[in-house]
Amino acid sequence: MPKISIATDWLGGCAGCHMSLLDIDDRILDLMELVEFTSSPITDLKHPPKEGVTVGILEGAICNSRNVEVAKQMRERCQILIAMGDCATFGGVPAMRNLCGTQAALKRAYLETESTTDGVIPDSPELGVPLDEVVGIDKVVKVDLFIPGCPPSADALFYALSELLAGRTPVVLPPHLFKYD
Amino acid sequence: MSKIKFILNGREVFATAGMTIYEAAREAGVDIPTLCHHRALLPIGACRICVVEVNGQRNLQAACAFPIFENMEVQTESPRVVAARKLILDMLFAERNHYCPFCEVSGDCELQNLGYRYGINHWEFSTYRQPFPLDATRKSFLMEQNRCVLCQRCARACSELVANHTLGLRQRGAESMIHADANMPFADSTCISCGTCLQVCPTGALVDRRSSYMARDEQSERISSICSRCSVGCGIHIVTRGGNVLRIEGDWDAPVNVGLLCKTGRFLPLYEEERERIAKPLLRGKNGLEPVGWEEALQAVADRFNKTDAAGKVLLASSDATNEALYLASSLFGDGSMQLLTGATPNLGDKKAGDFSDLPGSDMILLAAANPVQDHPVVSFLIKRLVDRGKRLLVIDDEDNALAPFAEATFDLKSIGKAVRIAETLNRVTVLYGAALTDKAAKLLNKLDAKARFVPLEPGINTCAAVKFGLNNSGKIAGAKVLYILQGELNGNGAEMVSKAGKSTFVVVQAAYASELTNTADVVLPSAIWSERSGTLTNTEGRVQTANQAVEPLGEARTDWEILAMLADKLGKNLGTSFKDISKRAAKRFTGKEI
Repeated sequence: MPKISIATDWLGGCAGCHMSLLDIDDRILDLMELVEFTSSPITDLKHPPKEGVTVGILEGAICNSRNVEVAKQMRERCQILIAMGDCATFGGVPAMRNLCGTQAALKRAYLETESTTDGVIPDSPELGVPLDEVVGIDKVVKVDLFIPGCPPSADALFYALSELLAGRTPVVLPPHLFKYD
Repeated sequence: MSKIKFILNGREVFATAGMTIYEAAREAGVDIPTLCHHRALLPIGACRICVVEVNGQRNLQAACAFPIFENMEVQTESPRVVAARKLILDMLFAERNHYCPFCEVSGDCELQNLGYRYGINHWEFSTYRQPFPLDATRKSFLMEQNRCVLCQRCARACSELVANHTLGLRQRGAESMIHADANMPFADSTCISCGTCLQVCPTGALVDRRSSYMARDEQSERISSICSRCSVGCGIHIVTRGGNVLRIEGDWDAPVNVGLLCKTGRFLPLYEEERERIAKPLLRGKNGLEPVGWEEALQAVADRFNKTDAAGKVLLASSDATNEALYLASSLFGDGSMQLLTGATPNLGDKKAGDFSDLPGSDMILLAAANPVQDHPVVSFLIKRLVDRGKRLLVIDDEDNALAPFAEATFDLKSIGKAVRIAETLNRVTVLYGAALTDKAAKLLNKLDAKARFVPLEPGINTCAAVKFGLNNSGKIAGAKVLYILQGELNGNGAEMVSKAGKSTFVVVQAAYASELTNTADVVLPSAIWSERSGTLTNTEGRVQTANQAVEPLGEARTDWEILAMLADKLGKNLGTSFKDISKRAAKRFTGKEI
């Protein structure tokens, strides 16, 4: 049986969910027997391959136009899309900025901090443009599976992947793995 | 009460007529989720999370408010019900900021628990973006509007339970908001910071400042005890973690207060206590007070005791001592003079004693020479609640009485006869009286003997027991050779009492906190405070309740009765060896009966 291909990427997140994914420890060796991680932010290949993967995993919230592009590309190139962690499912910590507004947050961060002199709000054309509202990825692309948690436990991630490998779709995590925080 | 039969999830169930579906299901072991409903409050069916399917009813019905009827068929978890509950949760999560990692009560939140129960693993709708204000004007707890689900438990508790009517709802729809009075900052409003709203809030909208983030319920312990701030004797839960008291909550199962607490009982012990504790026994030596061991300190006291005749030994007791301590003290000082530091209500002779449960059934409440709003707040809640429901109240007081605005008439003590004349025309009257009641006024109450129940409002925590143990035999302090002051946690320095006794008097102070009094004492015995002691307390109605130890005493401090038991031991008096033994003897002396 050919290996199942998995691609991961992160958006507006802190990499904590990827750390949690690595936290599945030696079970990752068993997993590697069955799956192939084609690309991720921590491998040489950063983008999901054009020919597509079976499972796409996204960490982080949709905060700017670049995040939207990455999410859409992942959606196009994977069959099953997993929203990993609270930011991807709910907006998470980055969504706190919704309470004050994007412009106010940028101003505070780049112009008004106590240590700032002659601050500038970055506007390089290479950068994504911040959106007015931070949202979970399901507001931009269709998501097949949500794994909330900040971060989700390694067990929760391992459970979800094992279920998928066994041909079942875990619609909601079992209670002991289901955590919002 | 007649039982009726109905079908619950396909099962035949019998329940008492008049119950709601929620109550009947609970009794049958079926859990229907609730959010706006609370056991102490009247159901309003506002949040709809408890909806169930009832045959013959076109719409889903709120189980918390819908009464059962014969042969009704109820489905509590049918697909239609579950879909409705998920929609309600999706909408609740879409309103305001219900993001758990931002929140202090994550882990103990009723909304979060419902999210888990119904598998809400993402938000169906975008979240509401308008930030709502946070009110942090009160010292002890916050109102974070962004986490409010508008269940109105707080506002209902404020009106139905505390009868303070501070909280209400303003605006409509998505703009709705809980506010105090006419949208005032909470600290400037009529709020009395009793914290009842805090205790009923299902989410993190109302948050205790001191204990936030300190421990989730599963990480903390709850010890049932009795509040020792006044003579009402409210049941409390002391919430602790790792030997530290985090917060105090009212015990919903307690007979006296049924969950309610006042600011003094809930917050003051933890937020306002700044006095310095005494951690070791102190004995006056060449260089003033020096820390010594228990053995040495007690020996010094015992030596003095043995050298002094009964008349030379004087006891001054605060009323915050336990029944056990008062029993031991009265046994040790019984032949000498014993006085209470806090006074007591006058003895009304053989009048019919009542308790707080007489209040709802009486036609009128006479409040004489007592100011419960200040001294017994939880009783004032009860009175105001009854006045709300039409109970008649007369206030007889020479001072400004905070319940006067709720009374149909107010008299000074001299004209108590007028109040008695009004009450005489009724069938059942309850008289609540305080320590300021004069003998003259008390005599005029005699006319009500046939129809009234009399409930004292004692000035001190355990005054009722202290009086029964004969601790106010009004002996003299002057000429005392040994003055033993059982101060406990009582405020006030008592220095004037010491000066009455004379300079050569040997002064022993058993106290929890350092004060001018302990500084002038010859021996200081450190006693444990409310959270550190076990013992029984007698409330103002005469109800004996058990206070339980929640944390270890500070340093070498010991419970008040333990110290007196050690002293009795030193004096070679057999007054009981274990807590159980002493408690039993105390109860026997108290009631004249073996228990």
